[in-house]
Amino acid sequence: MKNNYDVIVIGAGNGGLAAAAHCAKAGLKTLLLEKHNLPGGSASSFVRGRFEFEPSLHELCGVGTPDNPGDIAKTFMEMGAEVDWRSHLSTYRLIVPADENDPEGFVGENGVRVKVDASMPMGFEAFARKLDSLVPGSYESAMKAFRLSTLMYEAFDMISGDKINPVKLLTRYGDVFKMAGHTVKECLDELGMPEKAQGIFTAYWCYMGAPPMRFDMLYYMAMMHGYVERGASMPHLRSHEMSCAIDKVIRDNGGEIRYNSEVTKVLMKDGKPCGVVINGKTEAYARYFICNVHPGFALPDLFAPEEIPEDARKKVNGRPVAASLVTVYLGMNRTKEQLGFHDYSIFIAPTVDSDRQFHISQGKLGSDFVIINCMNEAIPNCSPEGTSILFLTGICYGDVMQGVRPQDYKKLKTKLAGDMITRCENTLGLSIKPYIEEIEIGLPPTFSRYLNTPNGSPYGYQLDMWDSMLPRTIQYAKDQPFDNFFFCGASQERGDGYGCAYFTGKKAAGLVIKQFTEGK
Amino acid sequence: MESLLKNLNKRDFISVVANRQKKFAAADGAVPSGTDASRQLARSLHPRAQYVKVAAVTERAPDVKSFTLAPDPARGTTSLAYFGAGKYLTVFVEINGMPVTRAYSISSAPKDALEGRYELTVKLVDGGLVSRYILDNWQVGTEVTVSAPEGNFEYQPLRDAPTVIGLAGGSGITPFLSMAKAIRDGDEDFDLILLYGSRNKDSILFYDELTALEKDCDRFRVIHVLSDKDAKAGKGFEKGFLTAELIQKYAPADKPYSVFLCGPQQMYEFVDKELEKLALERKFVRHEMFGEFHNPSTQADYPAGVPETVKITVTQAGETRTVEGSSNDSVLQILEKNGISAPARCRSGECGWCHSLLVSGEIYTPPQLDYRRMADKQFGFIHPCCSFPLTDLVIDVPEAK
Repeated sequence: MKNNYDVIVIGAGNGGLAAAAHCAKAGLKTLLLEKHNLPGGSASSFVRGRFEFEPSLHELCGVGTPDNPGDIAKTFMEMGAEVDWRSHLSTYRLIVPADENDPEGFVGENGVRVKVDASMPMGFEAFARKLDSLVPGSYESAMKAFRLSTLMYEAFDMISGDKINPVKLLTRYGDVFKMAGHTVKECLDELGMPEKAQGIFTAYWCYMGAPPMRFDMLYYMAMMHGYVERGASMPHLRSHEMSCAIDKVIRDNGGEIRYNSEVTKVLMKDGKPCGVVINGKTEAYARYFICNVHPGFALPDLFAPEEIPEDARKKVNGRPVAASLVTVYLGMNRTKEQLGFHDYSIFIAPTVDSDRQFHISQGKLGSDFVIINCMNEAIPNCSPEGTSILFLTGICYGDVMQGVRPQDYKKLKTKLAGDMITRCENTLGLSIKPYIEEIEIGLPPTFSRYLNTPNGSPYGYQLDMWDSMLPRTIQYAKDQPFDNFFFCGASQERGDGYGCAYFTGKKAAGLVIKQFTEGK
Repeated sequence: MESLLKNLNKRDFISVVANRQKKFAAADGAVPSGTDASRQLARSLHPRAQYVKVAAVTERAPDVKSFTLAPDPARGTTSLAYFGAGKYLTVFVEINGMPVTRAYSISSAPKDALEGRYELTVKLVDGGLVSRYILDNWQVGTEVTVSAPEGNFEYQPLRDAPTVIGLAGGSGITPFLSMAKAIRDGDEDFDLILLYGSRNKDSILFYDELTALEKDCDRFRVIHVLSDKDAKAGKGFEKGFLTAELIQKYAPADKPYSVFLCGPQQMYEFVDKELEKLALERKFVRHEMFGEFHNPSTQADYPAGVPETVKITVTQAGETRTVEGSSNDSVLQILEKNGISAPARCRSGECGWCHSLLVSGEIYTPPQLDYRRMADKQFGFIHPCCSFPLTDLVIDVPEAK
């Protein structure tokens, strides 16, 4: 029957795309609805002049090599989606500027006074040695941390294998449970890592938006391990390539995709979703629903108040929204060499203390913490000859746009972007502003417009010890508002990140496929 | 194996789940608000559509009229979206059952939007179906639907020079009018020297407004450039065309300047050659789009042997039908002429609203208008507004919502 489906997927972000691909591949009659005219949500691209910008992706830690593929590469292989991956073999450079009078300050390699200038290499041994050279006495603790993450992956293999031996799991992998139950800070303290070294070691906190004092060691080390072991990768043609590749898989497997098709209401029957209204006019029906819209907006937007279970309301109201971003995209009319860039990812932090970085970003628009990426380091031909692409990211938390009027917005954007660029120029001792050929600035309202999330956050709910990956995973089924309606995306188990979103889409699809084949 | 984390308890993780349940149990059970300042701002700046009414009509010249648009609360629009000077509105009209769109730059000041006023100026285009329709039909009280403000033809202080030489032709004056007003109102911070090309003094649009603006604001200057051989020039006038020499005459000699162009396709063909002589950095030259592209077969790289008529099988929101059209029309025009409403804003290849999947068949896109993303080309996505069919096509077009 027309407009009758086995499963309707609401939203074609990374989670929704993966969900629809898995459902379509399993033979379910699948309809994917997306309010924008493009797939991907964050995973997209945009063109300005002769530049094509990456809107969100910094790097993927789960690609690996063709011989030794990581999680993301495997996810794409499993879906049958083809992407041309490009790798680069470095992790990050952390710079903490110092003022004139700072006793810890020294003149770094860019000729500017800094407190920390740490270019961290790939490979566990090399990383630990570099850390030790920066903070003597930190080698052992760093190696132990990597031993823990290696152990953790062994445990994951065992858990995902056929035979789980709980006794062996608890005895041999006791430390993995400790990592799950304790913060990064507690664990690094226990490993005896000096404080300053901890700051350098936890610089990736910004990718999950959760600080070492409130983030579990298990999840942090899973990410850290991925980057340090495998390095980072990017799709050749911006992340729009990844989204198009999955779009193709869905269509090739008989799935239907409708863009410019916003779900404006979920239809209910006997207390359960039974269909959707598209663009306020047409209806479509299904047995199962996978929703890639953040629950904080999906529930009030798509359901009548009395239709929302109390438990689901509490799970929205009881959780703080994660980080929001300020981003500046720059098309430069000089090459990276002419500008003086030789790093892909530079984290410029006001202090080496990651927890402090998190705290001073609360409720404050604009950011002293800036990540600057030079895309040509990872993909040399990503922009026309003689040019380069820079990408600046700042982090903030809360409803930071309060009191900003529409007529102030453009000036505010320019001011914030100018401050971030100046900060990069001063810290790196180079010049950016005279060479800007194209510029685009994204603030939380920009992300709100394209991602439709509270505070425009691309990161879902704040990852915190009490609401970390482990309890979210254990309680995933309980967290869903109806037994035929599953959320996916950054709001779910693993928080933000492309790999995390694809994972949640696949997981939701798996539950739907299982129920479907069991005839429930 | 000896623990590396001896002093930590491996059972602590168990309490994490219970702790989470406790937190949720204690949380507020009210319906989530579903709003915040970012969402409000995004919605205010980028409404899905704006329902307006014509509040005033001003004759500017024969076949040129300005329309003042005001919110139409009866249809759900109570205020107008604020915009940066230089942006355009896409107008949605239906002519004899044919749904079409046109983009017009806003000529009013950004701050007028806060008081519920936009001004659009429409000039009759040769053979222009939509401009003819608007000029003949829009009157005070006419209900009109327009898009949110769109486009990238705006001043950006981090990118552009402090002085802008504006080069305008005909109705290409409209975004510069808005910019001059924004400078006057303190909403933009740059010096604008406008070289405005017209045939003769009588064909200058907004002459009085421009003169008044020049008086009110010492950061704005206009020089009328008259092309008619016998045009009478005087103070504030030049004769001839928008040449490199003329730009140099008025541009600052000792510091960089940006050049912004807005006018018809023929003007760009001439002025772009002139600009080459000045060897400006590419970042200092910015073009507004000139609207629809016509006659693709005049392009050097257009292939031979294209059939005159083509069939397009189009799927939209699950419905499939086959229509016929001329290969001289864009895919978008063919759809519209067959009564199919497709999403479209700029109609010049740039904005990407009409982004659609080409399932099979071949199209031609003029290279200078090919703003598709790299992956789009690889995966067969097209912008129908500047895609011309070379064969029969099968396409999947999103709904125009």
